[in-house]
Amino acid sequence: MAGLISMNLADLLIMAVVYTKMVSFNYFKFVAPGIVAVGLFAAAFVIGREVNNETRKGYNQYLLSLPIRRFELIIGRMIAGGARGLIYAIPLLVLAMWILTFPSVTQLGLIIFAMFLLGMGISGLAISLAVILRSFERFTTARSLIYLLLIFCSTVFYPLAVLQQLFGGILVIFAEANPLSTVSDLLRGYLMGTPPVTFFSWTELLLFSTVFILAGAGLYSLAIERSV
Amino acid sequence: MSKILLVIERDLQSLIRHKSILVMRWFFVIVQIGIFGLAVSRLVVVMPNYYNYYAMGVIVMTMYSVAIFTGYEIYDEADDGFVEYLLSLPITRRELVLGRSLAGGLRSFIFMSPIIAVFLLIIGILDPLKLLTALAALYGFAFGVSGLSITLAVGLKSGDRFDIIMGALDAFIVRLSTALYPLAFMPGPIAAVSMFNPLSYATDLFRWSLNFNMRFLANPAVALVVLVIFLMTFNFAGVMIYERNLEGGSWR
Repeated sequence: MAGLISMNLADLLIMAVVYTKMVSFNYFKFVAPGIVAVGLFAAAFVIGREVNNETRKGYNQYLLSLPIRRFELIIGRMIAGGARGLIYAIPLLVLAMWILTFPSVTQLGLIIFAMFLLGMGISGLAISLAVILRSFERFTTARSLIYLLLIFCSTVFYPLAVLQQLFGGILVIFAEANPLSTVSDLLRGYLMGTPPVTFFSWTELLLFSTVFILAGAGLYSLAIERSV
Repeated sequence: MSKILLVIERDLQSLIRHKSILVMRWFFVIVQIGIFGLAVSRLVVVMPNYYNYYAMGVIVMTMYSVAIFTGYEIYDEADDGFVEYLLSLPITRRELVLGRSLAGGLRSFIFMSPIIAVFLLIIGILDPLKLLTALAALYGFAFGVSGLSITLAVGLKSGDRFDIIMGALDAFIVRLSTALYPLAFMPGPIAAVSMFNPLSYATDLFRWSLNFNMRFLANPAVALVVLVIFLMTFNFAGVMIYERNLEGGSWR
């Protein structure tokens, strides 16, 4: 987590500050919401490593022995994954709001809801990977791949228009559908007024989160049963 | 000398055991240069050819991150009880640490050589003498970084603390350097710190060898001197600390 915090702060307080002097717009303000999304994503993904460790080390048997129903265990872990991501990202969000603007109470509520939804979806994705790829090495390789693709093929660090100019086809479609792009742009919409927040953005986020919450919950329940 | 070569050979072989990490690092370089570099260079308006500047920086930055790996290996070895085996070998502590630093630098170099070769082919190899100087300096930098990693690992003797410090150092050492952007565009405090960062000099020397615009680079003679001081300091410190701290266990 120390490395993660350092990376997020260094990206915002050093890299973004320098790039602001090199580009034609306020890059620092542009990237601040993106850094919030990245921080949330990385913190929520940590649950995947934990589940992978537990699956390999037989810890699931202990969890199954607890006086907790299966669905309570599964839902609890999904919510915890999302909450962890949100808790980690809140200081970054406060920093972003301080840099940009403080939203209205309604907007703030929507922002937190969007972040929690993303956190749960990312946790679901991480748990799905963790139980499919039981080997630690394969899990860390897949995790690194996903980190790279989701972070760099998104609008976290640059506007979508730049990706559209440079690349075509599948990379742009991926960037548009990327939940990190969706949440970064949602945050920009609420904190900067642009791009506009649309019903489509919320639909994309809800779709991503629903799919991966269900996948994560389903695969986790199979994995813990299978390990007995 | 032959014992140092044996240590180097052993550490080079361990590079092959971590194939997945290597493949991921290559992929990271390709994504950074192929997507992030292209996208950000589209946004940059103050400097021509920022893309080449950035790509060269990423190459050196990746050499740094591979060379740092030596410290993590030391903790894996301590966990597995392998350190005591190394200490029982008929080889001096000094030979062991020097061999490991040299191997760390060489591993980083071997790892990046395909990417450097492709990059040189694309932009065209220019002055061979300048290029040789820069490659030697890059190796010296990687050698120094390995020494730094060993110094920290053996000095701390705590995996958790090493993880935290390296995580923080990693993030700041790259961004507080000229790996990603020239000194000319950094605000005062950031520029001041970057001037003490050996990564800045290693990347600028590499860029100088490829005839990048000198306006954005550090003086190559100064860069060479800084790198020599860096590698001597951390390898000397690494030898001293390694000799004292490696005995007696107490790894946390």
